Amino acid sequence: MTSQPFSDQPPRLAVWLVNLFTIPDDAEAIVGDLLEEFSHLASTSGVVFARRWYWRQALKTIVHLIYSAYRAAPWATSAGVAAGFLTRRLLWKLVEPTIFTVLDRYQIPEHHFSLYVFFASTGIDIGYLLVFLFVGCIAAFVAKEREMAAATTLSVIFTAMTGVAAVSWVATGHYWILWRLTWNFADSFAILIGGAIVRTHRSATRLSGSRLNT
Amino acid sequence: MGSRCGKRLNYAPAVYATLDRLETKGYVKSYRGEPTPERGGRSKRFFRVTAKGVAAVNRTRRALQSMAEGLGLIEGYS
Repeated sequence: MTSQPFSDQPPRLAVWLVNLFTIPDDAEAIVGDLLEEFSHLASTSGVVFARRWYWRQALKTIVHLIYSAYRAAPWATSAGVAAGFLTRRLLWKLVEPTIFTVLDRYQIPEHHFSLYVFFASTGIDIGYLLVFLFVGCIAAFVAKEREMAAATTLSVIFTAMTGVAAVSWVATGHYWILWRLTWNFADSFAILIGGAIVRTHRSATRLSGSRLNT
Repeated sequence: MGSRCGKRLNYAPAVYATLDRLETKGYVKSYRGEPTPERGGRSKRFFRVTAKGVAAVNRTRRALQSMAEGLGLIEGYS
């Protein structure tokens, strides 16, 4: 097999995303089919057209794979979403008390006031971000092979909730709070990252397992 | 499939979802081919229609033909 120049290959991000959402048994066939068609299009219609085509196909494929995850494994995927919700509910209340307990335990307010201010403001936001990252991991872990379908569903739900909250803030004149949207959207994105971490780890374990068997 | 249908079929996962359902019902059987360079060293999944699948296709075709004849949708049967 000869190596192709970088520009003759499909977009790496799109390939990675398709791999992330495809269940392991189907990944080889689906990614291979897309790559075969990409090679054909690149030689007949040009690389730019083929790369654009690949992105369109990748996005369509991801939407379809999320839909088919609910169709093929409705219980596992829904259990992942429910587990994510429960985890978020359990851990959400613990972020601020935990941070302030640690700050008091090491007497940060007395000795490093600027550090205290940082952890009491941005630190709390980072704490919530880590909670959402963990929520994504739990949802993906429970959903088994449909990790990203569960994580994406949760992410979309929390994004929608943020959208509704933003509308109500605007409607009630609380414009000053809108800057928080950046953190809220980052929380939803952290769920996807959590799902991707679990999926990538599982794929790596599976790959090393199959290499050991051969 | 694309040449038979007269249109380009390049939407991989939708095709696999349908074929997977047919395989579960025993209408088709799948097997993996050899990895090829065009596919980045990935193997292709091939499908073969089983005897049960052929029987189901014939049954469905007869049912459709019968309905079409009854509704006068086929020339010469109205």
